[in-house]
Amino acid sequence: MPNGLDIPFLIDTFFVALTGVPIAMLITIVSLLIALPLGFLLALTRINRMPILNQFSRVYVSFVRGTPVIVQIFIIYNSVPLLLGTIFEKYNINMNVYEVNPIWYAFIVFSLNTIATLIEVFRSAINTVSKGQLEAAHSVGLTTAQAFIRIIIPQTLVVALPNICNATVNLIKATSLGYAMSLPEITLKAQVAANASYNYIEAYIAIFIIYLLICSLVEYAFKRYEKRLRKYQIAPAA
Amino acid sequence: MEKYFDATYIWESIPALLPFLKVTFMVAGLSVLFGSLLGLLLAIMKLGKNKLSQQIAHGYTTVMRCTPSIVLLFLIYYGVPAIFINFGINLNDMSSAFFVVITFSLQFGALMSEVIRSAYESIDKGQYEAAVSVGLSNTQAYGRIIFPQAFVVALPNFGNALLELMKEGALAYTIGLIDVMGKANLIIAGNYNSHALEIYIGLSLIYWVLSIMIEQFFLKLEKIFSKGRKDLKTA
Repeated sequence: MPNGLDIPFLIDTFFVALTGVPIAMLITIVSLLIALPLGFLLALTRINRMPILNQFSRVYVSFVRGTPVIVQIFIIYNSVPLLLGTIFEKYNINMNVYEVNPIWYAFIVFSLNTIATLIEVFRSAINTVSKGQLEAAHSVGLTTAQAFIRIIIPQTLVVALPNICNATVNLIKATSLGYAMSLPEITLKAQVAANASYNYIEAYIAIFIIYLLICSLVEYAFKRYEKRLRKYQIAPAA
Repeated sequence: MEKYFDATYIWESIPALLPFLKVTFMVAGLSVLFGSLLGLLLAIMKLGKNKLSQQIAHGYTTVMRCTPSIVLLFLIYYGVPAIFINFGINLNDMSSAFFVVITFSLQFGALMSEVIRSAYESIDKGQYEAAVSVGLSNTQAYGRIIFPQAFVVALPNFGNALLELMKEGALAYTIGLIDVMGKANLIIAGNYNSHALEIYIGLSLIYWVLSIMIEQFFLKLEKIFSKGRKDLKTA
């Protein structure tokens, strides 16, 4: 391809790839919805040094953060059908494991991945909220659950928000690896479109723009939300 | 197709994969080298007074942060030869390692620019003023006072960036680089796609151990260097 870009193709691919955005967003949102509460709870087990769970989440975080996402995807993608196959055989469930929609694997992989990131995020965020806050909440008669929901979590959230934003952006970027699970998200759609005519450069420029737009929007949204939440943050004692 | 889990494949795959860590290290090492230089340049642009270069550097970082590695990798892999062919230079026969190093240098540069910038900004301005006031030259002040302190601050972030690079580097197999990940895929293809799970588990163990080693190394390093810092403070 010695001459310039095929602009009409670029524009076409842009819109083809846009149809992959809902799937990428769906995976991102479902993974976050699963990972936020679990990450918070597991962060608490780390802080309170609960036996077994503490060690478990430590090893878990270390493993997930120490291995590439693509390897995790391949592990889940290869192991879950094996497990399900055994279970289905045992209970005589007549269902083909190889017909499961790959989006389920994506939910599993990206949730597991995000949980690990968020454990660390919440752990450092909870540590910034002083212990006196919980004691003060108890002393005015709130139960522990109330204290957490009304006092601790709002304060933690303010501190954690920039890091949650980072985790979200990373998650959106990671969904581009869904192609390994033949998931029809942004990258795979563009690749398929490019395969027909070998216009790879145009296809990748198109999705490059799409990811740029999505991530900028997400960052902007988080900045707005952070500003709103800042109201609740107590100014550090002078 | 016979499909059952056989743990012996895990142990057999590890020695087969380990020699290919060389390629992973080489690519990562070169990317760190070039990326750090780029990062330094970007950090200088960000900290400088020129508004335009500030904006360019910030814009570059944002773009890099928003682009998935795989997209950047393919963009470089297809885009760079296409650009160079207009100047009559044929890069189509270049080794894929070349494109991998370009990609991850660009990415690592963006990460490093933030690491360097935040480390520099964490050093109190008074340090520089004090250094100059006792008669050190500009270079001496930076070389002896600012840099050693900023280095300690940057160390953990540099370690994190390095880990990130190692992990993202696994994607290089998509353009045909035979590193540990590429080799794992070759082994699996050689097995007619059976026992993929065991080999990926073996691969993940290699990465895991590697990450823990890097992490521990940087923790040790940090301890060694921050000891010196405390002594300075009390003195």
